[in-house]
Amino acid sequence: MIRVFRCEDTLTGILTGVYDAWDSRLGHQNVRLSSVAVEDLELFCEYTDVEPDVEKAGKVFRTVKRRMGEEAALMIAYASACPHDGKADAIYRMIVIGLHLPDGREICHMLTRPEVNLIFELRKKAWHIAHRYMGFVRFRELENGVLFSEIEAEADILAMIAPHFADRMPGENWALLDRNRQKAAVHPAGKNWFILEDVDEAKLSLPGLSREESYFQELWRRFHRAVGIRERENKALQQAFLPLKFRNVMTEFQEMSTPLKR
Amino acid sequence: MGYRIGQEMDLMQKLEILADAAKYDVACTSSGVDRKNTGSGTGNCMAAGICHSFSSDGRCISLLKILFTNECIFDCRYCINRRSNDVPRASFTPQEVCDLTMGFYRRNYIEGLFLSSGIFQSPDVTMDLLYQTLYKLRREYNFQGYIHVKAIPGADPEIVERTGYLADRMSVNLELPTAEGLRVLAPQKQRSRMLAPIRQVQMRRQENRQELTLYRHAPKFVPAGQSTQMIIGASGESDFQILKVAEHMYRKYEMKRVFYSAFVRVNDDSLLPALPGGPPLLREHRLYQADWLLRYYGFHTEELLSEERPDFNVLLDPKCDWALRHLEYFPVEVMKADYQTLLRVPGIGVRSAQRIVKTRRLGTLDYGVLKKIGVVLKRAVFFITCGGRQMYPVRLEEDYILRNLLDGKEKLPAGTAPACMQLSLFDDPRFSV
Ligand code: SF4
Repeated sequence: MIRVFRCEDTLTGILTGVYDAWDSRLGHQNVRLSSVAVEDLELFCEYTDVEPDVEKAGKVFRTVKRRMGEEAALMIAYASACPHDGKADAIYRMIVIGLHLPDGREICHMLTRPEVNLIFELRKKAWHIAHRYMGFVRFRELENGVLFSEIEAEADILAMIAPHFADRMPGENWALLDRNRQKAAVHPAGKNWFILEDVDEAKLSLPGLSREESYFQELWRRFHRAVGIRERENKALQQAFLPLKFRNVMTEFQEMSTPLKR
Repeated sequence: MGYRIGQEMDLMQKLEILADAAKYDVACTSSGVDRKNTGSGTGNCMAAGICHSFSSDGRCISLLKILFTNECIFDCRYCINRRSNDVPRASFTPQEVCDLTMGFYRRNYIEGLFLSSGIFQSPDVTMDLLYQTLYKLRREYNFQGYIHVKAIPGADPEIVERTGYLADRMSVNLELPTAEGLRVLAPQKQRSRMLAPIRQVQMRRQENRQELTLYRHAPKFVPAGQSTQMIIGASGESDFQILKVAEHMYRKYEMKRVFYSAFVRVNDDSLLPALPGGPPLLREHRLYQADWLLRYYGFHTEELLSEERPDFNVLLDPKCDWALRHLEYFPVEVMKADYQTLLRVPGIGVRSAQRIVKTRRLGTLDYGVLKKIGVVLKRAVFFITCGGRQMYPVRLEEDYILRNLLDGKEKLPAGTAPACMQLSLFDDPRFSV
């Protein structure tokens, strides 16, 4: 009989699952981790629901850091941001292997192990997505001076990009809303950023745009158009780098709302 | 002579004119410095650089790339802003450049500013305007994002130096690969005059490195280094000449990047080539590939090209081309070969070579793992063995490999492959569009 530990699809959820699965002493070959929301129940499996627990997760994370190194910890944290059915179990296996190595740090290079390889790939993917959003996020200035932006990210990267913007604009009030997850990263000027869960976009009543906002958006659109070289026009290449799915929330691909003078 | 424009010109119009005028400069990277925000002010820098958008020609937009002014006293034949052209002229004020930069940066449109300029009145006046703009942006607005600025050849070295303390990257474009090309197409420019500020910045950077080892907080001078640009296909230089110049700039002037810009015929001038097939994009692409080989793969120009073979093969990337002419190096055994040898295998890049070296210490490689590591087996398969085995039987013969490589079709960036590519197998390889 295999015991499946069903955990929440977050880093905390998965690491709590690792803790509970290990703690169950059923033997690594007899347990499996899953972070899939609705899973077809399988025969010959027992299911245990894991309640996310910051303390247990923290213990696991610190152990990973200490015994397997900063790099492995980052790999796991980033990988958990990507949607993938097998990631929770792969994280578990990777930690099991890592903690049994004489030097846990070696784990990051053990790409011949499929679990490690998966986590490696997911980490790359998450980083890639986060990196793109660092560029593609478009803030707009609201009446009250707050910079606001929506994203529609395919991975849970808010916590990966928020530190970047917090460092970049320490003196600004800004907020980033992930429409796909009803979560927002919020940064009050001069303070630390935090994540706000369960944000209902429909219920948000945002102030209107600042006086200069439309003008700047139009400046940017004109700039964007002007820098393209007609003789080299290449929409296919543009699209390869900047797929359509990102353009929903990018100013330069939206029509001018109201033409404005400053 | 273009018409002069009054002060009241709208910022929107100015931006359109001066962004349009700056677009032929291809450098738009924001890479090379890692800088955290000081805790007040706006901005930081990320060493890897960040692309914020892509223009309709598929190029990355990372910086607000503008000319300060296109009211230029020079008359370079290849340039849209040459004095004798009748085009709308405009000039920013330092204040306007600051407003645009800050407004764009806060909205996350850009990583920073790329400020170039036509020669307004004199090199000194122009350089001073650039300096004033940067000073305002850095000191009054406390802007800590990326700044790339032009050093104007012929300007007072003292202003160039002051400007360098405010910028992350400086550049002087060589424009044409040879002094001869310059004489014909840009008579007011001289190679020696261009090299002077490049050398100055290089020397100052060396001293600055010393200072920084002594005093960690010494002000940084051009921390992201220098770059330059050459126009490809406006004058008659061969790829061999161009690449030699590039190599020289890397080795002798510690250039961080050399950019290649396929010539776009914006002016109707009898001394410029006609280019019926459009800008030579494939040639530009081959030069970038070769440039990569110089910088990261330990190749020298002479290994890739020679007086007798002065231009790249259009059908094959420079590395495959080299490998086919040096079959004596192959096959390479991936479980044993050292890093440098791995790098020379077509289909193995810097990343995959590094990963091979690390991964094989901890386990045995097979072709499945190589694929996961990022090796392009389609190409590598002819040149490697893994644990003594070939992936499938292949012959180490030039014709055989060439045929298979060409069947496999190289993945060129969309748009660079000319239509004639499919049928030109037996054409003159000294292809020029
Ligand atoms: S100096 Fe030459 S290349 Fe530069 S803007 Fe003036 S005409 Fe153009």
